[in-house]
Amino acid sequence: MIELTGVQKHFEGKKRVTALAGVNLKIEKGEMVALVGPSGSGKSTLLNLIGGLDRPTAGDIRLDGQLLSGLNDDDLTRVRRDKIGFIFQFFNLLPTLSCIENVALPLHLRNWPSTKIRERALELLGLVNLNHRLDHLPEELSGGERQRVAIARALSVYPPVLLADEPTGNLDSATGAEILKLMRDVNERLGATVLVVTHDRGVADSCSRQISLRDGLVIEDLRRENVRK
Amino acid sequence: MKLLHLISWQYTRKHGLRTVLTMVGIVLGVAVFVGMHTANQSVLVAFHKTVNRIAGATELQITAGEPGFAEEILEKVQSIPEVRVAVPVIEASINPKLKTPGNILVLAVDMTGDSSLRDYDLDDGGEAVIDDPLIFLAQPDSLMVTREFAKANGLAINSKVSMETMQGPKTFTVRGIMKSGGLTSAFGGNLAVMDVYAAQKVFGRGRRFDRIDLALQEGIGVDVGRKKLEQILGPGFQVETPAARGKQFESLSSVYGMMANLTSLFALFIGMFIIYNSFAIAVTQRRKEIGILRALGATQGQIQTLFLIESAILGLFGSVAGVALGVLIARGMARGLGDFLGEIYGVAQRADELSTDTRLLAFSLALGVLTSLIAAWIPARSAARVDPVQALQKGRYQQLTTGENRVRAVAAVVFAALAIGLAMVGGGPFFFYGGYLSAVVAALMVTPWAAVWLSWMLRPLLRLIRPVEGALAVDSLIQSPRRTSGTVAALMLSLALVISLGGLTRASYDSLNQWMSVGLNPDLFLSPSQSISDRSYHFPAEIVDQVKAIDGVRTAQGVRTVRVNYRNEPIMIVTADVAAISGEAKLPATAGLHEDMYPKAAAGEGVILSDNLANLQKLKLGEMMELESPNGPLRLPIVGIVLDYSDQKGTVLIDRKVYMEKWKDDTYNVIRIYLKPGADVVTVRQALLERFSSGLKVFVFTNKDIRDYVVKITDQWFGLTYIQLAVAVLVAVLGIVNTLTVSITDRRRELGVLQAVGALRNQIRQTVWLEAIAIGLVGLALGLGLGAIALYYSLEFTARDFAGMRLEYKYPWAMAAFLLPVILGSALLAAIGPAESAVRGSLVEALEYE
Repeated sequence: MIELTGVQKHFEGKKRVTALAGVNLKIEKGEMVALVGPSGSGKSTLLNLIGGLDRPTAGDIRLDGQLLSGLNDDDLTRVRRDKIGFIFQFFNLLPTLSCIENVALPLHLRNWPSTKIRERALELLGLVNLNHRLDHLPEELSGGERQRVAIARALSVYPPVLLADEPTGNLDSATGAEILKLMRDVNERLGATVLVVTHDRGVADSCSRQISLRDGLVIEDLRRENVRK
Repeated sequence: MKLLHLISWQYTRKHGLRTVLTMVGIVLGVAVFVGMHTANQSVLVAFHKTVNRIAGATELQITAGEPGFAEEILEKVQSIPEVRVAVPVIEASINPKLKTPGNILVLAVDMTGDSSLRDYDLDDGGEAVIDDPLIFLAQPDSLMVTREFAKANGLAINSKVSMETMQGPKTFTVRGIMKSGGLTSAFGGNLAVMDVYAAQKVFGRGRRFDRIDLALQEGIGVDVGRKKLEQILGPGFQVETPAARGKQFESLSSVYGMMANLTSLFALFIGMFIIYNSFAIAVTQRRKEIGILRALGATQGQIQTLFLIESAILGLFGSVAGVALGVLIARGMARGLGDFLGEIYGVAQRADELSTDTRLLAFSLALGVLTSLIAAWIPARSAARVDPVQALQKGRYQQLTTGENRVRAVAAVVFAALAIGLAMVGGGPFFFYGGYLSAVVAALMVTPWAAVWLSWMLRPLLRLIRPVEGALAVDSLIQSPRRTSGTVAALMLSLALVISLGGLTRASYDSLNQWMSVGLNPDLFLSPSQSISDRSYHFPAEIVDQVKAIDGVRTAQGVRTVRVNYRNEPIMIVTADVAAISGEAKLPATAGLHEDMYPKAAAGEGVILSDNLANLQKLKLGEMMELESPNGPLRLPIVGIVLDYSDQKGTVLIDRKVYMEKWKDDTYNVIRIYLKPGADVVTVRQALLERFSSGLKVFVFTNKDIRDYVVKITDQWFGLTYIQLAVAVLVAVLGIVNTLTVSITDRRRELGVLQAVGALRNQIRQTVWLEAIAIGLVGLALGLGLGAIALYYSLEFTARDFAGMRLEYKYPWAMAAFLLPVILGSALLAAIGPAESAVRGSLVEALEYE
């Protein structure tokens, strides 16, 4: 499903900074993977590369067998919008759009017909239990509700891959647990591959696989049976 | 100063493009101010220089308006004991059709006495001309030219020059070439000297002179001499020093000066909104930085001063660049203005040298800096009031507070009520201009609120076009009224100006057409000059009968137009056989009845004024009008006021008998010719040309030629005002670029999210384009609305203080329709750069952008 071969990422500036020093990784369909490691270990960079938000300096990334490095910007965007859903720490909802409009946003960008868009948006908001907040603006929602809207938006086309960068980092622990449950539900019920970047031990432990990074390298790759309880 | 370097400089460096765009507002405003004033100044200085250089040792000059005066006056002046020497002068600006383009100034003098007033410093070989003026006089075809003029046209002593005269083309011989310096630098060196008595024939002046130049006996003061001359000659003559002669020219060009002021102040005013906008945005964006400074101990005063110094520096750099640009464009403008004044008023002037006034330049610099400071005052005060605790908290940018909104709403209502109240009261300039100012202030106060409201109205429409891009574009405006209101205000003001000028133009053309269809109804016009407004050449009185005798001519009417001083304004006398002229053309009356006014005027019992003269001079029907003439004052009642657009300063129609009695001038400038039914215009035109081919110099214009000429002159006039429009629209477009540049920076994260969830580059571009279109539409709606009010004031201003013409209010719908694609197109053009920068750059950085 997701395959990384010798992926490197350097940031050029006054001084060259190596974010990823050569990562080889294979993630199967339907896995729920936690990417863990200290700050600056390269977890978010790895997530951004898999999500096609950034390009590697060296190495190959394949998604469903498709090589991402050979694609131009618009083709990369098409991959992103058809195959990937993003969940961010700070939700990144558009403040001027209502819940339903935020969820419908990726569908509008795909030029879906209006009736189908509304149908899908209602379905997704039902999935995250927000049918009663359809016309509310993000600022009228609690943190947990905002993240649920963000998840609904990320699921708009039921993408095979869901990427989440610290999805509970900005939430209290009870709400965080609620969001985590929702993500696990998505993974189990929809069969989506989920990659979560997290500092939260609880989130990491609830994933079927845990990959640890340090100084841009994978230093540990544990399957569920080996993950510490 | 350290703070300025550490804080402001870093910010300016980071936002270089925006700083430049902000500065452009000031650069353009100052450049137009310097350019137009320097051009005006250059033309005036050139005129004064010409007058002074031609004057030589002349202490006083005697004139009697354009009609001039009879030769006997010279003898009268020469017999006054206080006068040492008095010489006659005729001056005319003609186009000799030589290599040098444009007109030359012909100075016609009596060489016998003139060399004691003027220094004709001749090249070797020509001294004999001056040593013995009889050589010059004995040969009436003699001509002296300047060395520059001779060189430019390949002329030498004894070269032949062909010139149009009232007796047809005649050949003149160059008998002297004047060395450079002094007199020869007058009129840019394009000067020819000839004998005054020869000039009377050449220009058809009869036995009249334009002017007497004189020097007083030693020991006689200029004031004493002037009083004596005024006493002897009477009020019909102006006795002035050469330096004072520029007054009339200044008065004619004052209309242009007023327009120059309006244009540049308007450009600066719009520039002020762009600076306000930029600083308001900067304060919003730098809230955190301000909060840190305040937390570290910076006082409110220090923060305010920091922003004000930033604006002063910006204003200074913008003004310096504006002054430089202004001086650059002034040369072209001066040339255009010289030609324009020549064409409209028949007072030709060449400004080949630029006269830059250091006081004007210093004033322009100060004006630019002051504009910048005023614009930054409110944002600087807001910066000083930033609460450090709130500023250091993460969150959305602050929006206009409820308190601010309330103050604006109250102010808008107060000013709107004031504007309506003052308009209803009417009367003096205080009420009129106070009302105008109040209306503009009310519109400005209401702009942020109106912009948000209109954006809400636009939302469904743009969503219909592009559901996501459209909604986000409009939301961007709704979310940040502070970011857009300055630009919308600038756009609104500039469009209001366009609409008011468009309406004024339309009304002027409509009125002109109406006037032309009634007043300019002859089939043909006969003129002694190629330009109908040129009054250098005159026809003799007998020409009317000669024209009437031509086959196909039903009737012919001679008209003489002359500019005279009335209450220190150069108004136009139109004199003709009123009985004859009224039989063919009766201009629409605004006061008095046709059946009453024309017979009275024809009987010499009254004068008929143009509506604009009555408005400008506050004259009413039945009042007595007094005009000074060389033969005593002319006092006649005003028997009618009619719509006549012949002259911007206004006209007074006097019957020919009355005019001849007072001015002793029986010449004509133009003959109005009506053909017999069925007569062919081309055939009669040819017959006229043939009839006068061997005698008089004539030009025959068809009715269409004259109408085209009037339209051309009007086009030229409005052409000048269109500079105003171009500047205003350009500054407004710059404002849109500025706003969008800031908008995409503010919305970097939002646009990043859009791309992350699947927006293609084109979809991001479309969001920015639609935002530009939304700004354009909001600006258009407000501008077209304010334009309706501005047009009312423009028409009132035209009637009250400008040309005195009362024009009909007609909203220029066609212009409004034209503006729609122009502004939306300009907005799209302005959005190209920001849209491209929105799709470039790192997506990861955009998503992390705070």
